[in-house]
Amino acid sequence: MGDTIITVVAIALAAVLMFVFPLMTMSDRTDDVSQLTVDTATTEFVDNVRTTGKLTIDKYGKFVENISSTGNAYDVEMELKVLDENPGKKTTQATATKIGENVYYSEYTSQILDELDQKGIIQLKEGDIFSTSVKNTNATMAQQLKNFFYSVTGNDTYTIAAEHAGVVSVTGSND
Amino acid sequence: MKIQNLAVIFIIIILPISLILTSYTQSQVKTLSLQISYDSKLNNATYDALKAFQLNTLNSSTSDIANSKLRDIEASVNTFFNSISSNFNMAGYNKDILKNYVPALVYTMYDGYYIYSPYTNTLTDREDKDGATYRNNEKIYGLKPYIHYSCRYKSSSYDIVITYSLDNYITIQGTINGKSVYRYGYLLDNIGGNYTNGTGNNITYRGIDIGSESLNEYVDKDNRQTYVKINGVKYYNDNGQWYSLLNGKRYNQTNRYKINNEAAMQYYKEANDFTKWIKNNLGDLKTSDAVDENGNPLLDEQGNKKFGDAKVFDFGAKGTAEGSIEDANSDFNQHRLAVIRYSIEKNLSIAIANYNNYTDVKTNFQMPKLQEDEWTRIINNVSIISFLQGLNIGGKVYNGYSIITNTKNEEMVRYDSIYLVNGSDSYYYRPTDGNLSSSIQYTGIFNLDFERRAKQLDDGSDYYFYPQKQLGSYTSIVNNAINKNAEEDFYGYIDNMGTNVAKAYYTALGRERYSMYRTNNDINSEGMRQAYMQ
Repeated sequence: MGDTIITVVAIALAAVLMFVFPLMTMSDRTDDVSQLTVDTATTEFVDNVRTTGKLTIDKYGKFVENISSTGNAYDVEMELKVLDENPGKKTTQATATKIGENVYYSEYTSQILDELDQKGIIQLKEGDIFSTSVKNTNATMAQQLKNFFYSVTGNDTYTIAAEHAGVVSVTGSND
Repeated sequence: MKIQNLAVIFIIIILPISLILTSYTQSQVKTLSLQISYDSKLNNATYDALKAFQLNTLNSSTSDIANSKLRDIEASVNTFFNSISSNFNMAGYNKDILKNYVPALVYTMYDGYYIYSPYTNTLTDREDKDGATYRNNEKIYGLKPYIHYSCRYKSSSYDIVITYSLDNYITIQGTINGKSVYRYGYLLDNIGGNYTNGTGNNITYRGIDIGSESLNEYVDKDNRQTYVKINGVKYYNDNGQWYSLLNGKRYNQTNRYKINNEAAMQYYKEANDFTKWIKNNLGDLKTSDAVDENGNPLLDEQGNKKFGDAKVFDFGAKGTAEGSIEDANSDFNQHRLAVIRYSIEKNLSIAIANYNNYTDVKTNFQMPKLQEDEWTRIINNVSIISFLQGLNIGGKVYNGYSIITNTKNEEMVRYDSIYLVNGSDSYYYRPTDGNLSSSIQYTGIFNLDFERRAKQLDDGSDYYFYPQKQLGSYTSIVNNAINKNAEEDFYGYIDNMGTNVAKAYYTALGRERYSMYRTNNDINSEGMRQAYMQ
């Protein structure tokens, strides 16, 4: 009787050790690699937009394709802060010694994508700020396995995330 | 064997593998993320350098003159190193150490470029006596002499060097049929009017009549004065007294200038004359005549002619959308870009390869291969290219570069540097703005005149003002919205906007290009006097 219980426990333990444990470490590594890919792709995408002053549907498509190649689904959020110097220009007439009283207005993912769909390209100007953040939306293998042992719940249970932002360095033009 | 033993053996095998694998991936991740962060730092430092150059040139009234420009570039280089060292401080690198890893900085300008890299000082004459700062054979980190975008062409009837620029302006030096020539100017198709056949004074561009114009701008917070811009310097009219400003100081002029200057007319007239001269003298110049400095034909790796075999000056460019030499796809422009690229590529790779003789860093410095779209950006704009190589980032050696281009500077007047204003409107627009009306008269203004200027008061304090007070249009300036139709055919779109818009645009483009500082300019020439002098 005691032997049977021990055998059952041993088999269960062996199963965990021989299958689940390696699977978990391997899937953790996969997530690491995915994280790396997403990090690189996001930085490259943002830096490219930043230094060319142009956001095209091709660039966006390629970026999404790149991160999707990791086999996960992602939520891509973009924000474009458009520099508006006009308010500063108006107030400078009153206080001519002040600088930098600029205002930014923001466009978010859905607006940006709408515009990209319509025109295929968004031109930015020097001084605008462009940022992108990426989070995975599906549960990766590593997450599922972890949830099997200890469950993590809530909306923000992503494991792969990347973020990059910067000031646009050139006014986009057609050449 | 018991199952427990198997499990233990299994774990003994799997555990080290998984541990090593973990640390390996971690180090790879670290290397790559370090590389990404270096890329960003390099981008930021290069942008800082460019911003410094932009600000310095904008607020200095002598920035376009060579030695002042050198100073601005030196300042920009310092900004680059300061920025890069403060960015890298986290990693424990300081400015002097980082200098060892920057093989070259390139500043591409309007008609040539500077390379900032180390060189060996040569000073053979009595260095003990002349108190020179640098000694003979000393290795100095500094700006090398300006290199022009030039190419030599040789055939039985001519031996000339053509210096290209970022637009259609060229300089020709050399001999044609044994006679020495030194000519410069713009190449333009589409010029008309009775001036072209010598019967009158009327000149048109793309069918638009170009006339004289009067310009004014704010010289401080509330005073607005008429001005003319000659050879990069603005002369203001203060109730009949003309004066110029040299870094804030007023200098009265004895000359009287025209209130209604004819710079734009003169630009198109001179372009017409120059274009005619080219047609008569160099109409059959071939790209295959290009030779190197020793007179040997330029060949590529396969032994073919480096620049192909086409006419350099293909007026009325066939096979392009526009059918003119101004078209970006004309043989002339394609060849011009190829020459610029070849020149930069050649000199830069030499500079970077030579860097191995100057640095203690044990890396083989090599010029990275730039991508096509990066070249397109470099050869169409004023830009800074920076290189950072040889830093150890774990698994490999960092080899990065950054290209930052710029459209706001006094170096060149781009086709999209002209904005339109109207006296009764408080906004300024791009010529492609959808809100422009064909029934309103506009004036074209150079984009820099909308930038903030600093002015120093007598008590030493600064204040800021805008030469043009209009606010940026929300449909074309603030959000830089794209106009699909204009994107495909810019000039065609302008032509369709009606005479008012087209006239303002072509006049301003001509005027600004004519009044730019150029070393070739002769202020006392017939054309200049006709354009500006009363």
